[in-house]
Amino acid sequence: MHLVLVGLSHHTAPLEVRERIGISRSMVPAALGRLADDGCEDAVLLSTCNRTEVYAIAADPVDMGERIVSCLADYRGVERQDIDASLYVRSDADAARHLFRVAAGLDSLVVGEPEILGQVKDAYKVASEARGTGAVINRLFHGALAIGKRVRTDTGLAEGAVSLSYASVTLARKIFGDLRRRHVTVLGAGEMARLCAVHFHEHVASTTIATRREGRGAALAAEIGGRTTPWESRLEAIAAADVLVSATGAPDLVVTLAELTPILAARRGRPMFVVDLAVPRDVDPAVARLEEVFLYNIDDLRGIVEENLAKRQDAVAKAERLVNEEVAAWFGWVRSRAAIPTVVALRTRFERVRQAELERLAPRLAGLGPDARERVDEVTRLMVEKLLLTPTEQLKAIDDRETMDTYSSALRRLFALDDDAARDARAETADDNGEPRR
Amino acid sequence: MSLALLYLAACVAYVWHFVGRRLLAGRVATGLLLVAVLVHTFTLGMHTMELGVPPMAGRTGAVSTFVWMLAVAYLAIEVSTDERGMGIFVTPLLFVLQAVVSQGEMPRDVPVFFAVPYVAMHVGALLFAYASFALACVIGITYVLLFRELKTRTPGVFFQRLPSLQVLDRMNMRAVGIGWLLLTIGLVAGALWMRDASVRYADDPRLPHMTLADPKILMAVLTWLVYGGQLATRRWAGLTARRAAMLSAVGFAIVLLNFLPVAYFFARSHNFA
Repeated sequence: MHLVLVGLSHHTAPLEVRERIGISRSMVPAALGRLADDGCEDAVLLSTCNRTEVYAIAADPVDMGERIVSCLADYRGVERQDIDASLYVRSDADAARHLFRVAAGLDSLVVGEPEILGQVKDAYKVASEARGTGAVINRLFHGALAIGKRVRTDTGLAEGAVSLSYASVTLARKIFGDLRRRHVTVLGAGEMARLCAVHFHEHVASTTIATRREGRGAALAAEIGGRTTPWESRLEAIAAADVLVSATGAPDLVVTLAELTPILAARRGRPMFVVDLAVPRDVDPAVARLEEVFLYNIDDLRGIVEENLAKRQDAVAKAERLVNEEVAAWFGWVRSRAAIPTVVALRTRFERVRQAELERLAPRLAGLGPDARERVDEVTRLMVEKLLLTPTEQLKAIDDRETMDTYSSALRRLFALDDDAARDARAETADDNGEPRR
Repeated sequence: MSLALLYLAACVAYVWHFVGRRLLAGRVATGLLLVAVLVHTFTLGMHTMELGVPPMAGRTGAVSTFVWMLAVAYLAIEVSTDERGMGIFVTPLLFVLQAVVSQGEMPRDVPVFFAVPYVAMHVGALLFAYASFALACVIGITYVLLFRELKTRTPGVFFQRLPSLQVLDRMNMRAVGIGWLLLTIGLVAGALWMRDASVRYADDPRLPHMTLADPKILMAVLTWLVYGGQLATRRWAGLTARRAAMLSAVGFAIVLLNFLPVAYFFARSHNFA
């Protein structure tokens, strides 16, 4: 059996294609049912805004890949030619490596972003609950979740803010700690102000918007659940704020040192974090001289973001090494599974011989007490276990398919395992036909 | 010396944690410090059982008890806040102080003054107060370092490893508040003890030196004024958190001055070793 991956992502497909093929969480169980109807019974469907991927187990990976693509296209009502160019199909170790890289955040739009690990976990959970998943898929996703966590804790890949608004919130947290009782005032209602307001409002007690364009300010306040104040009252709003974000399109300064000095004096040492996202700048750079003011302009924030992105890139190589180790471990485990039928047959053969010998010796052992007979049974069982331990381990440790097949067929021939299997099959057929067993 | 080495091991682990920011390193560091504290507790406990009172008399006993109290106070803060960023600053202090007194002898008998009421409270409260001030000093220094990074818009080493300014400020003021309260109790207990001692041991040569003119007593009162002023101005006069943090460092410099050189070379009132 092989692992097959079929999918598309932001690397291969534009947004309009991803939108058309994307499957919302509530639709995933139905989609998995549809895949099962098409012969793909052991599968996980991962669908986020940046990717839609199916991981499945199949005897013929090429055929299964085709079936999955057709099923998805059919399910979403998309023409094959619209998505074919964006699709990638991978199998076995390549497919596992892809999933591990996805879980680690190495394949994300923003490298190291944290949400994808939760999405992988959720996709696996949905598949497990909807239709159940087999041993190979289970081991694969457990490995993916483990490597996702390990990469984040051991490499620093997910550390540091990588957007201006997130960097602002991170800085605010470093100044104020918990932001839940803090107040934010935003000057302006353009796109930069909006992004920052949206991001801050998730964490703070209140957000106040002050802008000359009142309609736009009201719309932004309504969008985030904040409130507005007239532009003329902005200084009162600034006085009440712990964080001031300024992103107006004004050609001149909108917050001066002269305006801020009395406000800070009245705060009796309470700090203020000032984020100036405007170009040209809204806030007089001289306000940074005030002891309790932490002033960051757009270049300062950009510098932090770029530094964090560079650090993440440094961590990528280490993360890739960890992913490769996990892939090797997973693939080794999968290969060792190929030995299972031979090992089972070998053990059955030995056990059969043991039972036959015990049966043959039964008259001679009849004189022994129950304890002694039990001891004989235990000793012979342990002998068989010990004799089989080394060959079993050696067989499972073989890491190429050809050698594995050679060894397996040698064992089957040497111990006539196929004869045993044929005899078992005949006995089953005889049972089914109601004939007495020989 | 073995105790000092245990603190050194914890210090090395805290450095490892600070540099590598690995959770495992942090846990190892906390574990090593806990082992050091437990061994130290056992050692002090044995001396206490031997003497009948905690071994706080004499330089070696006092400093070792101080180190133990500081380690306990730091561990309490670390466990309650789950912040290990300050371990790298506290553990070197523990190691150095314990190493300094490691060759000294622990008190073998109880000085006669210790039989007088209030003396255990006087010594114990002051040592715990100084341990709190040491912790406040470390927190204050880390506050200033982080403040500087944030103010100069160059978030770096401390930005990534220390808790927020707000948390550091709160921890600083809490440590100073507890320290100042204990210092007050210690000084009052000392004054009460002196009143009794002046009757019981009127001819003791140290007694005439137990006045505000004695450098050790003067420095202790000065410490009380500095920390009291810090608390009052922070609460009522708008002293900024950064200045409060700097005052914590200055205050502890006075404590250290009083604890070591002044006590060794100038004070005539507290020679019990």
